[in-house]
Amino acid sequence: MLDRDAPATPRKLVEVKGLKMYFPITAGVLRRKVGDVKALDGISFDIFEGETLGLVGESGCGKSTCGRVILRLYAPTAGSIRIDGTEIAEADNQTLRPLRPSMQMVFQDPQASLNPRMTVAAIIGEPLDEHTQLSKTEKLDRIYELMDAVGLNRNFANRYPHEFSGGQRQRIGIARALALNPKFIVCDEPIAALDVSIQAQVVNLLEDLQDRLGLTYLFISHDLSMVRHIADRVAVMYLGRIAELAPRDALYDRPLHPYTQALLSAVPEPDPGIETDRKRIILTGDVPSPANPPKGCNFCTRCPRVMDVCRDIKPDLAEIEPGRFVACHLYETTAAAAGSTGASEDYERNQQGVSL
Amino acid sequence: MPDGAEPVLDVKGLKTVFRTRGGEVHAVNSVSFDLRPGELLGVVGESGSGKSVTMMSLIGLLPSPPADVRGGTVMFDGTDLLHCSEEHLRSVRGARIGFIFQDPMTSLNPVFTIGFQLMEPLRKHMGLDKRAARARAAELLDLVGIPDPARRLDDYPHQFSGGMRQRVMIAIALACDPKVLIADEPTTALDVTIQAQILELVRELRQKLGMAIVWITHDLGVIAGIADRVMVMYGGQVVEQAPVGELFANPRHPYTRALLKTVPSVRGERTAKLNVIEGQPPILKAEPSACAFRGRCLHAMARCDRENPLRRMVGPGHDIACFWDPGQEEWQDA
Repeated sequence: MLDRDAPATPRKLVEVKGLKMYFPITAGVLRRKVGDVKALDGISFDIFEGETLGLVGESGCGKSTCGRVILRLYAPTAGSIRIDGTEIAEADNQTLRPLRPSMQMVFQDPQASLNPRMTVAAIIGEPLDEHTQLSKTEKLDRIYELMDAVGLNRNFANRYPHEFSGGQRQRIGIARALALNPKFIVCDEPIAALDVSIQAQVVNLLEDLQDRLGLTYLFISHDLSMVRHIADRVAVMYLGRIAELAPRDALYDRPLHPYTQALLSAVPEPDPGIETDRKRIILTGDVPSPANPPKGCNFCTRCPRVMDVCRDIKPDLAEIEPGRFVACHLYETTAAAAGSTGASEDYERNQQGVSL
Repeated sequence: MPDGAEPVLDVKGLKTVFRTRGGEVHAVNSVSFDLRPGELLGVVGESGSGKSVTMMSLIGLLPSPPADVRGGTVMFDGTDLLHCSEEHLRSVRGARIGFIFQDPMTSLNPVFTIGFQLMEPLRKHMGLDKRAARARAAELLDLVGIPDPARRLDDYPHQFSGGMRQRVMIAIALACDPKVLIADEPTTALDVTIQAQILELVRELRQKLGMAIVWITHDLGVIAGIADRVMVMYGGQVVEQAPVGELFANPRHPYTRALLKTVPSVRGERTAKLNVIEGQPPILKAEPSACAFRGRCLHAMARCDRENPLRRMVGPGHDIACFWDPGQEEWQDA
């Protein structure tokens, strides 16, 4: 793990800057535009070659939209996306097509993302038909090779998706994503639809493949404990913006943003001794609508440490320690020293039952 | 919890079979458990382990066909719910046994107001008139922490968020002061911060109202925080049952052990590689004549292929359905 955590000079494979994705809200017979759902409201991050960036957040925070925009399944409203040095935010379909093999996606629901009328071989072979000129035997060899790589029995190549269990179907989806030797894979909640005992199998497979093929992942999930396991760095999203972005251990040991603190504190621990004594940060209320986000910080309506400034000015994502980015007024440069120690000490006090 | 008190719900030898085109599926195989007053019993298992079907069977919520409740007894308030009139069952369901379902989006009717749906059980089961029912409905919304309850009675489900809808579902389940509340994955569809709110609410309500609760989930973390006793299900059977502290500290069934080890944690040590349970959960085409877990079990023996283990006591209030004896072995290293 360590060798891929810190390559000598990490190269940026994916660079996202100021990305915005607004979906129009229309009304009336004429479909007049009356507003925007701000699914992504100016997010920036980099993904280094060979790493896994975890993207966490609650439903509706824009994490899936983010994964889809980066692969240009949607056309972004504004911002820049560079993959392997190529700017693709504004690229048209002709330009994108030759780039598609290097960036692939594993979807959440293996039931819905596999065509029930195609055999496994046809599903895995479809990208090969589209993007390569392999002969029939070469193609079949490649399909078998992929099935072996994801741990599917070759003899099942002519079966249909419904004959497989959820975990096996997700393996088919992964084999399809691997077919064209991609560099970058967006995993959009790949384990959310699976049982606990099957989740571990799929996560281990994704990690093995990464080690063997040098893949780079954007791993989107709401499961904070699984992200802690698989990711090298983690970005926390809230209502279309990144609240915090940090290396995994730093984020889980000492979360800085009040939202990250509340989110981690809300995850129940499978240990009754800890659970009964642990102090939790319980947020009040729900996530506001992304069509009408609050003025100022998006989190100000639920933040336990809200200040006056939060209701007026949106905090920018700033690097407050090397590699740690936080968008919060508590850590603003003017009050950096006082603010940062105060907030994280508070968190540590809250979590004391846990560290035992 | 009061120990040795008369159980409010006593289930013995429950069997449920689904008839499908591909043959029979034995979803619940001789499940027995009891529920004591005021207790919270956690039921853990993977999908298809029979946890929901068990609870649906015992109050006759499964459509027949395809479901067929083949045997067993369910004693509640001196009556066997499996062998009583439909009328009696209807007077129990939603009144003395309340239900909360997994998905708050689909279990509320979108064309009726929240108030109407809350008042329905109050008028049907408790015979309240419209005005009294409305007052009680507002009280219930207040109880589950919905601000401005009287006004929100006239809102429709789509005007509520997911967490709020689940609060409404809880209010409906509590409407007639049930003795038993069955909660089927009530927080699975919710985000963690909302789940934390609902768990806090349930802790509060238990102290205030003192009903017995059956809480079905696949999330071991949730169980650790709220349950008094835990029942682990696999292949339509109860494989282990113990008080919550005992189950997590000293799990005895190989499945429970494996399950506890596959779940990564957000706190404490981070493991380099996740432990996995190889293989798939079984689909039971016939009544099990052998242990359902043997194909994935690290400790399977010849005997496990021949016989289905019966539950046996291994400690106070702790039983497992397994032939293997872990003895004094420290389970973390097992």
